[in-house]
Amino acid sequence: MSLKTIRPATGFKEYLPKEYQDLIDDGPFLRQRKVSELGSFKEAIEEHPMCAGCAMTLFIRLVFVALPSLEHTVICGTAGCGRLAITQGAVPFVYGNYGDTNAVATGLKRGLDIRFKDQPKDVVVMAGDGGLADIGFHAVMHSWFRKEKFTTIMLDNEVYGNTGGQDSGMTQKGMVMKMAPTGKKFEKMDMLGLAKTAGVAYTARISTTNPTRIANTIRKAVLIAREVGPTFIQAYTSCNIEYAIPTPKVIDDARDVEKDRYGFAEYFSDEAQSYWDESEKERKRLRKAAKKIK
Amino acid sequence: MYSVAEVDQEICGATKCRLCTQFCPEGNTILYDEVKGTAYVAVDRCKGCEICVGICDDLAKHHAIKMLPIDQVKNGFDISKVGFKRTLVDSE
Ligand SMILES: Cc1ncc(C[n+]2csc(CCOP(=O)(O)OP(=O)(O)O)c2C)c(N)n1
Ligand code: SF4
Ligand code: SF4
Ligand code: SF4
Repeated sequence: MSLKTIRPATGFKEYLPKEYQDLIDDGPFLRQRKVSELGSFKEAIEEHPMCAGCAMTLFIRLVFVALPSLEHTVICGTAGCGRLAITQGAVPFVYGNYGDTNAVATGLKRGLDIRFKDQPKDVVVMAGDGGLADIGFHAVMHSWFRKEKFTTIMLDNEVYGNTGGQDSGMTQKGMVMKMAPTGKKFEKMDMLGLAKTAGVAYTARISTTNPTRIANTIRKAVLIAREVGPTFIQAYTSCNIEYAIPTPKVIDDARDVEKDRYGFAEYFSDEAQSYWDESEKERKRLRKAAKKIK
Repeated sequence: MYSVAEVDQEICGATKCRLCTQFCPEGNTILYDEVKGTAYVAVDRCKGCEICVGICDDLAKHHAIKMLPIDQVKNGFDISKVGFKRTLVDSE
């Protein structure tokens, strides 16, 4: 982490909004923050208009804690609920047309790699299940086949939340939604299986029950994408509006769904596994060395 | 009228918990005063979802958070007025 890219020129700080000053003084740019430190530092995500108690909001909040290099990351999103919050974070955001995210991210990542040879730049696509599994499906699949080195995060609320409740490919079979009155006709798409087939280096399925695990998983996916190849996280982030979940029960629902059909599951390609094992070893060695110095 | 979360600082301060800070869906909303060892809520950011109440009651089992109608909140912390603070300050 480095403050260099966000620190204003001398004399300008006092004219910037309080929120920005707080980011310089107490923000996450000083060093990688942990989930256990939440509440004690200024988070990169600001106020936004997503619904009260939305699990997707919680997940996005944790992404902003987990990203291993906030100031060298570009997030690519699109239409859908998530972008209402993602755009309020202190990380550059590129709005791909609905369906285009993984094509836009491909160009971005390749361009950044040419422009910044000595500074790794992370590109992260974060969008809904409709945006990625339905309308953006071809671009997602082809970015995987081409082994593009960025992370795709699907905010899977199993519905088109932002447009009032149409079923998506990720909705469960039989589900009756406001704008799918006769029920979803087909099985939920197996995007994790497709990712594996397409040669994705790392995949994870996760729910919103364990914040530390969410942060670790995102970090892992971004670091593996940087070095090895495409990574994919499919996160159950319920829509309490379209699924009529009372907000105090949102985490209970996440726990039930996790137990029932959305358990935490990871897959590593051989290359990703050996890269990750090596880098874990290296981190352990560094921690030990740091302890010795202390 | 809407309600916001209020932390009983005496109950919370007797624990070393921090759990609700990890589950609030909103950023910069449940803050944590490391000196007093207690969580506190930026009332201007709380959306009243009550997720933190469930976390404190059922997961942490400390029963330190109650929902309070906004007009009954006394000396609520307003992050938009004073900005991020490492310790709880009076924003009045
Ligand atoms: C090309 C195009 N078609 C349709 C839309 C309208 N639209 C906006 S958001 C949305 C649905 C979003 O659903 P999803 O991607 O699942 O995200 P969610 O809102 O559920 O998080 C649609 C269809 C659009 N913006 N662009
Ligand atoms: S409509 Fe659903 S997914 Fe969208 S912000 Fe509201 S609760 Fe979240
Ligand atoms: S969950 Fe309860 S006891 Fe724990 S930090 Fe929050 S308010 Fe305090
Ligand atoms: S009620 Fe919801 S928004 Fe308010 S502090 Fe609790 S978890 Fe956060």
